[in-house]
Amino acid sequence: MNASPGAGAYPVTGFAVGNALGANVEAVANALEEGRSGLGPCPLDLPFDTVCGVFPEPLEVMPRSLAGFDTRLARMTLTIFGGMADEVGRAVRRWGRDRVALVIGTSTGGILETERAYQTHAVSGKLPEGFDLDRQHAFHGVLEVLRARTGATGPAYVVSTACSSSGKVLGSARRLIAAGLADAVLTGGVDTLCHTTLRGFESLQALSRRPCRPFSADRDGLNIGEGGAFLLIEREGEGRVFLLGVGESSDALHMTHPHPEGLGARLAMEAALGQAGVDAEAVDHVNAHGTGTAANDVVEASAIAAVVGRSALVTSTKCYTGHLLGAAGATEAVLAALAIERSFVPATLGADPLDPRIDIAVCLKGKRMRVRTALSNSFAFGGSNVSVLLGARS
Amino acid sequence: VSRVYVRGLGLCVPRHSGAVTWQAAFPDVALSEATGELLPPALRRRASSLARMAAAVAGQAAHQASVDLSRVPIILGSAYGEIVVAVEMMREFGGPTALPSPTRFHNSVHNAAAAYLSIATGNRGFSTALAAGTATPAVVVFEAVALLGECGGDALLVLLDEPPPSPFERAGPYPAAAVAFCLSSRSGPQSLAALSEPRRGSTTRADLPDGLERHPCAGAFALLAAVASLRSGNVSLGADAVGDWLVDVSPVP
Repeated sequence: MNASPGAGAYPVTGFAVGNALGANVEAVANALEEGRSGLGPCPLDLPFDTVCGVFPEPLEVMPRSLAGFDTRLARMTLTIFGGMADEVGRAVRRWGRDRVALVIGTSTGGILETERAYQTHAVSGKLPEGFDLDRQHAFHGVLEVLRARTGATGPAYVVSTACSSSGKVLGSARRLIAAGLADAVLTGGVDTLCHTTLRGFESLQALSRRPCRPFSADRDGLNIGEGGAFLLIEREGEGRVFLLGVGESSDALHMTHPHPEGLGARLAMEAALGQAGVDAEAVDHVNAHGTGTAANDVVEASAIAAVVGRSALVTSTKCYTGHLLGAAGATEAVLAALAIERSFVPATLGADPLDPRIDIAVCLKGKRMRVRTALSNSFAFGGSNVSVLLGARS
Repeated sequence: VSRVYVRGLGLCVPRHSGAVTWQAAFPDVALSEATGELLPPALRRRASSLARMAAAVAGQAAHQASVDLSRVPIILGSAYGEIVVAVEMMREFGGPTALPSPTRFHNSVHNAAAAYLSIATGNRGFSTALAAGTATPAVVVFEAVALLGECGGDALLVLLDEPPPSPFERAGPYPAAAVAFCLSSRSGPQSLAALSEPRRGSTTRADLPDGLERHPCAGAFALLAAVASLRSGNVSLGADAVGDWLVDVSPVP
């Protein structure tokens, strides 16, 4: 059985995460081990009830030089990034500024500020003073914030494929390094709560009024969260874990409904394993997309069963953080990395009683166990799928 | 240096006199209105104007390159993506239900145009959607060079943007416009030009007609002009805060 990092494995030399569970790796890991959800009341003024994952205050204040980029997204980015600034600084010095790329996933960008600006205009006929569409709304605003903070001058781009965005950044990072276009890539994703996503998912009747219960027979929808995560991938180095493979696929079926047999999900998982040359039996843990919606969980479970079998311990961490949308892929990759590093698989809160149609090993109680390799799945609008395979150091 | 080869081009400058200028300059490059004929009627009715424009240029480029749209990886680049749909949603928040239409919501994601293409053609392979402001054409070429280096074969690049709607109009207006390239990892009888990987540098910006020089994907229109006119040299694919990204273009005899 092959579970070792192969020639195409790249070290993840640093990572950082922040969401409703806490603003750094330690706080998030502790909450997962304690089985403590971060979901709570939603702070936005909405015409319906729901539960959200809200990033804890205080957020980092924007430095004066970046004042024009000030958004909740940018502040959250700087707050989370602070947890790995030293590692990124070392990579920039090691490889050179022009050899470090930035590939970041987001689905919301700074649209929360755009919504506020639109509302201000609707009332007063004027946009708020200082509102800048390029620096605050557009995706490249966050790139310039990270450029300024890291000093990296290599290629910098946002991947925005809805809920698979920041899983796919790991595929881009891997390719950029493999092609010799970069030696290190700061990847990750960040998204904030906003009216567009909350009202949008409500219009799809996909939101739950209570904390979500992925894989449960009693599940009734998802919760939205905000936060993000960053991972530093390098050509060589002392990895905390290794990026073994990234599989990307499309359902080619529908804008919002998953393929009924999970075909796209299966293709993504198989591609990740195939790229890594890792046997399915070596996968000990799957951090599932696991939104808690009726459609996703059954389809995903059947795809997981078909690809990795029924022995891998499967968790959805969205019951802790909410669905982080464009930041979900990177966040859940970090949580999978923590499962490997800390030998702990968190419980899927509220999954009991399991949906009888779900025939996989859903983790109902947090478990200490050796995790050699872990898959992290993210599926998105438009049928965009990604599966990220991470492995232990040896 | 990694090299890739252009095999097909697509261009769409709808409802704008620029189309006439381009047709005069490059009669071999197909021009079209964004009818979105590639999309089946049910999809076409729901698709945004950006998605219809993407379908138009994708179809042109794939046809010229004889590339199978059900198999080719799709890399979409846009600085602002579905900003028109996003602002329409904000208007709906003030309506009776204070909710957007479900169709408008799923059409608002940045990858919507790539998703419509994938659904219309049954393409279950790789598809992505990127953004990097005016450096978007450069990063799309980076992603393509890296992807073709890993997988070989072909890749379909679609670059497009619409002007932001009211109340977010810009001082320097530009037309809704799209361009597509079919790239290949290998040179062949249909190759039009070879491209290098993007590199930092400076060069004279291409003289683009009718406001396209202000388009966020201006670098992609400049690249199309260079390839279509069989011109050799470097082209600015656009700039980020650090500077310009150039690509070297050499016509394939």
